[in-house]
Amino acid sequence: MIRLRDVSFRYETAGASGAQAPVALRQVSFAVPQGGFRWLLGPSGAGKSSLLRLLALGARPTTGTLELLGTSIAPARRAALARLRRRIGVVHQDFRLLPDLPVFDNVALPLRLQRRPEDEVRDEVHAILDWVGLGSRAAARPPQLSGGEQQRVAIARAVIHRPALVLADEPTNALDEHQATRLMDLFRDLSGLGTTIVVATHNDALIRRRPAHALELAHGRLVRDG
Amino acid sequence: MAERAAPGLLARWHRARRADGLALRRALPDRLLPLLVAAMAVLAALALAGATGAAILSARWSAGAASLLTIQVPDPDAPAASPPSTRADAVLAALADTPGASRVHRLDKAELAALLAPWLGQATEFALTLPAIIELHMAAETGAETGADPDAASLARRLATVAPGTLVERNAEWGARLGRLADSLHGCALLAVAIVAGIAVVLIAATTRAGLAARRMPIELIHAMGASDGYIAGRFARRTALLAFVGGLAGSVAALPLLVLLSRVAAPFAQAAPSPAPASPADWATLLALLRDTLPTPLIVTLLALAPAAATIGWLTTQATVRAWLRTLP
Repeated sequence: MIRLRDVSFRYETAGASGAQAPVALRQVSFAVPQGGFRWLLGPSGAGKSSLLRLLALGARPTTGTLELLGTSIAPARRAALARLRRRIGVVHQDFRLLPDLPVFDNVALPLRLQRRPEDEVRDEVHAILDWVGLGSRAAARPPQLSGGEQQRVAIARAVIHRPALVLADEPTNALDEHQATRLMDLFRDLSGLGTTIVVATHNDALIRRRPAHALELAHGRLVRDG
Repeated sequence: MAERAAPGLLARWHRARRADGLALRRALPDRLLPLLVAAMAVLAALALAGATGAAILSARWSAGAASLLTIQVPDPDAPAASPPSTRADAVLAALADTPGASRVHRLDKAELAALLAPWLGQATEFALTLPAIIELHMAAETGAETGADPDAASLARRLATVAPGTLVERNAEWGARLGRLADSLHGCALLAVAIVAGIAVVLIAATTRAGLAARRMPIELIHAMGASDGYIAGRFARRTALLAFVGGLAGSVAALPLLVLLSRVAAPFAQAAPSPAPASPADWATLLALLRDTLPTPLIVTLLALAPAAATIGWLTTQATVRAWLRTLP
């Protein structure tokens, strides 16, 4: 589950001028229960990426409290945060695949960081690659793939370790209609199994197809929770 | 498809280790660091050789000089205060009763000539009557332990009663001065080793930081996926330790000929003449025997410890550098 109380976030000051960066999130409070699904909506610059970054433990709130999967973030030690990150799957807008590694190894990363046996890694990776339709591209490297294929690899990597929380930033941008529908079905299934899911998107058609609770941000403030 | 075939256990283990995207072979190339560490190891080996040599010289000079008193008897053949013996014989007789004395030796003509050769040339006959030179060797355990530390002044007073004008010189004073000189050299050599180790730390830290900068993207990614600081630092540290070990080993081997040469040059000052070097070492056993005979044991031990020490410095430095760098990540 996710719980934010009066969370504000400002990026670290940068540049020689010493001017403070603008506040990205202001007094945001909401909660998502275990297995909950939330759309994260709002125009560009509203703070969606900043919120996803906080939820992915890529930064700590400037003020306010953030509780994730039963752990309060502020007092948590680095080792505890690392363990928590292993229970989160993230689909980045820019995929963030490692160009030097084959698709197989990119997808296997979360399992290997959990020190799972290689036999199990091999079976799981092939199963998920077959599911996203890339079973025959396991040996290819990301630069050899199309945008849609790279996005599917990123999705496979985000869910292969059955995380407790999935965060997805525009996960259907490069997918065709069919793949987008399959992805949403997967999210529904995962949600049913207890995985909490937050999906940031601008895709109105997708939202219409799968009506769900939405969090809407504007100028860093939460303007809708329902 | 290659991935579907089940590879061997070792191959799978290797694959899992290198497939985390860190690509350490690119972050920490396997040529530059070992080369630099090897150069540091050669310098460290030379400094350690200096330290070991100084320690041996210090011990030898101190022990040798402290146990020897030199006694000069002018007009040695003149009658003693209580005839019929000569002054030299009277002194020798008196010295025979000295507590703790292990050997009393009067230098003969040939030894005197050899002693004066640097000033008077190879003469065997002298116009002036030379004083008798007597060496009084004290037993090794003589000193504070036995309470029989030879007192040059009281001995001189005692000998003056049988042969007035007899001089007693305690070599321990020179030994102490030489010992202090050797101790200073020892300290300088250890300081040089410490400086070399410090440079190695700076060098390894800089190389590691360059490697971190080169692999920033994958490090940030696997950190975000839950890789702990210990995992990432451990991967870098193991790689650095391996490269430093190789460099340390190469440096130790490269320093060996120099050390053997230095040891042979220094041998006359430290010990008995070295065993002659074989014209060409026939095999490894001969070579090892030559090294064992030529190099002092403490130096062999420190040489063997160089590569593990380099690996340890590499591991610790990299751990600290990577962990400090990771602290900049959330």
